[in-house]
Amino acid sequence: MKNVRIWFKKDGECRYISHLDLNRTMLRALHKSKLPIWHTEGFNPHPFATFPLPLSLGFRGVNECMDVKLEDDNYSFEEIQKKLNDCLPRGIRVFDVTEAVMKAGKIAFASFTMLVSIENKPSGLVCKQLKELLSLDKIEIEKRSKKGMKTVDIKPCIKKYSVTELFDCAKLDIILSAGSNDNVNPNLIIAALEKRTGEEYEVDITRNDLYNADMEVFR
Amino acid sequence: MVGKKVEKLLLKVQKPGRYVGGELNEVIKSKRDVDVRFAFCFPDTYEVGMSHLGMKILYSLFNSVPYIWCERVFAPWVDMEELMIKHNIPLYALESGDPLSEFDFIGFTLQYELSYSNMLNMLKLGGVPFRASERGDGLKNIVVAGGPCACNPEPVADFVDLFFIGEGEEVDLEVIELFRKCRSEGVGKREFLRRCADIEGVYAPSLYEVDYNDDGTIKSFTPKDGAPAVIHKRIMKDMDKSYYPDNFVVPLVEIVHDRAVQEIFRGCIRGCRFCQAGFIYRPVREKSPDTINAQCRALCENTGYDEVSLSSLSSSDYSQIVPLLEKLTEWTGEEKVSISLPSLRVDGFTDEIMNKIKTVRKSGLTFAPEAGSQRMRDVINKNVRHDELMQTCATAFAGGWTTVKLYFMIGLPTETLDDVADIANLGQAVVDTYYATPNRAKGKSVRVTVSASSFVPKPFTPFQWEPQDDIPTLHEKQAHIKNSITSKKITFNYHDADTSFLEAVFARGDRRLCEVMALACERGFHFDGWNDCFSLEKWLELFEECGIDPAFYANRRRSFDELLPWDHIDYGVTKSFLKKECQKAYNNETTPHCRLKCSGCGAAKYGEGVCFEKRQDLV
Repeated sequence: MKNVRIWFKKDGECRYISHLDLNRTMLRALHKSKLPIWHTEGFNPHPFATFPLPLSLGFRGVNECMDVKLEDDNYSFEEIQKKLNDCLPRGIRVFDVTEAVMKAGKIAFASFTMLVSIENKPSGLVCKQLKELLSLDKIEIEKRSKKGMKTVDIKPCIKKYSVTELFDCAKLDIILSAGSNDNVNPNLIIAALEKRTGEEYEVDITRNDLYNADMEVFR
Repeated sequence: MVGKKVEKLLLKVQKPGRYVGGELNEVIKSKRDVDVRFAFCFPDTYEVGMSHLGMKILYSLFNSVPYIWCERVFAPWVDMEELMIKHNIPLYALESGDPLSEFDFIGFTLQYELSYSNMLNMLKLGGVPFRASERGDGLKNIVVAGGPCACNPEPVADFVDLFFIGEGEEVDLEVIELFRKCRSEGVGKREFLRRCADIEGVYAPSLYEVDYNDDGTIKSFTPKDGAPAVIHKRIMKDMDKSYYPDNFVVPLVEIVHDRAVQEIFRGCIRGCRFCQAGFIYRPVREKSPDTINAQCRALCENTGYDEVSLSSLSSSDYSQIVPLLEKLTEWTGEEKVSISLPSLRVDGFTDEIMNKIKTVRKSGLTFAPEAGSQRMRDVINKNVRHDELMQTCATAFAGGWTTVKLYFMIGLPTETLDDVADIANLGQAVVDTYYATPNRAKGKSVRVTVSASSFVPKPFTPFQWEPQDDIPTLHEKQAHIKNSITSKKITFNYHDADTSFLEAVFARGDRRLCEVMALACERGFHFDGWNDCFSLEKWLELFEECGIDPAFYANRRRSFDELLPWDHIDYGVTKSFLKKECQKAYNNETTPHCRLKCSGCGAAKYGEGVCFEKRQDLV
C-alpha cells in the first residue's frame, strides 16, 4: 500500500463545481483510469480519496491536492499523472504526483489572490477601500454557526496582505488562517467590505498555496 | 465554452456547473469544418435533460457525421433566466457558447406535455421567434421536435416546422442531408418543408388544414401541396445493427440518473391499457446479450461510471435476462461495476435475478401494481395477481430488503371508491407479508411507500376516448386512500391533481390550443412540471381569455366515431384494435401479452421483432 498525493489545478469550467462534485468527478476518473486505488471495504465499496483542504465553488485552485492509496507500487508518479489526465475533464489538470509529506491536519494557512472591482469605477478607489478596511483594528463579520448567527472578528486570522492597483481591478494578495481550526473564507473579506461601503463588488479568487503553522509550504 | 458576460453571472446562481459545459467526452468541433449546426434542446433543467437516453444517442450519432456539429441546450433555471434577461444574454449552446439563433436546426425532444411552455420559452430566450410563421423563408433556425409527445403534435403545431414521428436515428439524418442539398440549391424554407414531407416519418404541420364541427370536434384534416394524408412512424428494425454510443458526456455536476445507461430492448409485450409507451413503441425488438454486453463494457470504460442501468420499458421481460446477467457479472465484479435493473415487473423478480443484482449494491425495490383491486388490474390489463405480488415481496424480504415502494394510479376508467380503498389494503397486505416472512432481516422494521398518481388518458391507448376524473373527484379518491391506511409502516404520497389535469388537456388537445400556448409564452410561463412554478389558476385564466374550455379536452367522453386530433398519424397500432381493447376493459377482460398470443394490434406490419419470434408453446 502506498500513500500518494495528487496535485492538480481546478480552473475553467471546473471552477464552477462544488467540492462534492469535484469528489465525484475525481472518483470517476480514478475508476476510469484503472489505477489500483484502494477501495473502502464497507457495504458499497468505493475508491477512497481525501482532500486535505476543500476549495469553495467559484475559486480557481492552482495548487490543489488529493490523497489516495495505491494497492501496488508498480506505477511511477509520471504514469499516474498521465493516466489521470486522460480521464479528467479539461478544467482539472494533474501537474504533479508526490508522496504525502505532511499530514492534512498540519495545514494552518492558505494564500489567495483576489481581483476586486466595481463596475464602471476606478480601481484606485477599490484599492483605497480595501486598504482602509484591512487597516482597521477589528474586522467584524456575521458568521453562521450551529447556534445561529454570531459576530466574529477575522482580523487576527489575517497573517499578511498586500494591495496592488491594476489597470481594471485591485489585486489583494492575502494569507489567511486555514484548516480545521480557524478557517477563513476570503469571501468574508468582501462581505465585510460590502457592508462597510454599501457597494457591490466583482471578485475573482485564486487559491495559491497552503502552509503549515511555521509558514512552510504544504507538501 | 462560455463568454465573459456569462461568467460574471455564474457566481450569483445556484449550481453554476450546469451552465458551463466542459465535461469529459463533450464534442467540440470547429465551426468552419462543419456544414450543419444542430442545437439539441431539452426543455427542462440540465440535470433532467442530461439523464435522458434519447438525447445521448442522437448527440453521439449526429456528431459521428463529420459535417454535423450537434450541441446541447437546456432550460436555465429561474434564477439564471432572470439574470440572462437582465443582462441581455441570449440562451446559448454549452459547447460553443453561441446563441440559439445561430443554429441551422433547433431540435426539441418532447418527453412530457408540461415541458411545452419551456420549449417556447427557450426559443424566446434564444432570440428565435417562437411562432413558425414569423421565422421567415430562409433556411435557418428550422425548429424540429420528436419524442413520445410528438404522437399528438397538434397543441404545438404552430411553433414547430417538422415533427419526427417514431424513432429518430435514420429519419433525422435524412432530413439533415436534404437540408444540405436544399441549401446548396438555394431552396427556401417552405419548399424544403414540402420536400421533407415526402420522407417517411416526417410531419410538416404547416402543410395541413383543420376544419371543425359546430360542437368543437374535428370535421376534417386536409393535406396541401401533395403532403401525405397519413404520416407513418419510423422504427429501427434491427436493434443489434442500430447505432448506440460507446461514450456519454459525463456531467461535472450530479444529475438525476448519474450512471451509464444501456438500452436492452424497445417496446413492451404487455399492453397495459393506460400506457402510451406500451403501444407507440411496438413491436418489441431486443438486442442480443452479446451486443448488450459489449456496449455496456465500452460505456463503462469510456465514462468511468461504476454503475450501469439496463434500460427498457420492462426489464424483466427481456427474453434472455438470466444469460445476460451471467455474461455481465463475469466482468462487473472485477471492475467494481454494479448493475441496476429499473422497471422490474412484480412477476419478474425471481431469486435468480435478485441474487445477480445484489452482488454489488442493494437499492430500494419499486413495483408498480398500478391498481389496488384485481378487477381494476384486469380493466387496465396489468396482468399481475395479488398472490404474485405477495410472493415477490416475500422473496425480497427473505433476501434482506426492508423497503418497498408501490406505485398506483387513481381515476382509472370504471373505478369505484372500493377499488381505491383496495390500494390501501394492498399496502397493508405487503406489511403483513413482511411479518409473515420467517427469514426476514432481523430486528428491522418494514417501510412501504404507497404512491398514487392521477390517470391521464393518452393518445394511441385503448383509453384515448375516456374522460379524466375531474379534480374534485381525484381529491376525494386521494382522501379515501389516506383514510383507509391504518398502519404507521405505510407512507402515502400522491401526485398533484392540478398538473395531471393540464397534462390531460395538452395530451389530447388540438391546434386551437396553440393560441393558449403562445399567450403562455408571452406571459413568461415556464417550468410547469415543477411545483415552484406551476399554477393551474394562471393557466385557467389563459383558457378563459382565449375562450377555450379545457374540460372539453380533459373531461369529455369522446365517441368512438369522433375524428381525433392525431388520427392522421400512424403508429402501427390500429384504431379498431384500440376500440376492441377498450371494450374488453369495460368487461374486465384481459388480453394476453405478445409472447403468449398475438392480439393482432397491427404492429406486425413492420415485419420485425416479437411478432416474428417463435413462440415457446408452438416450438
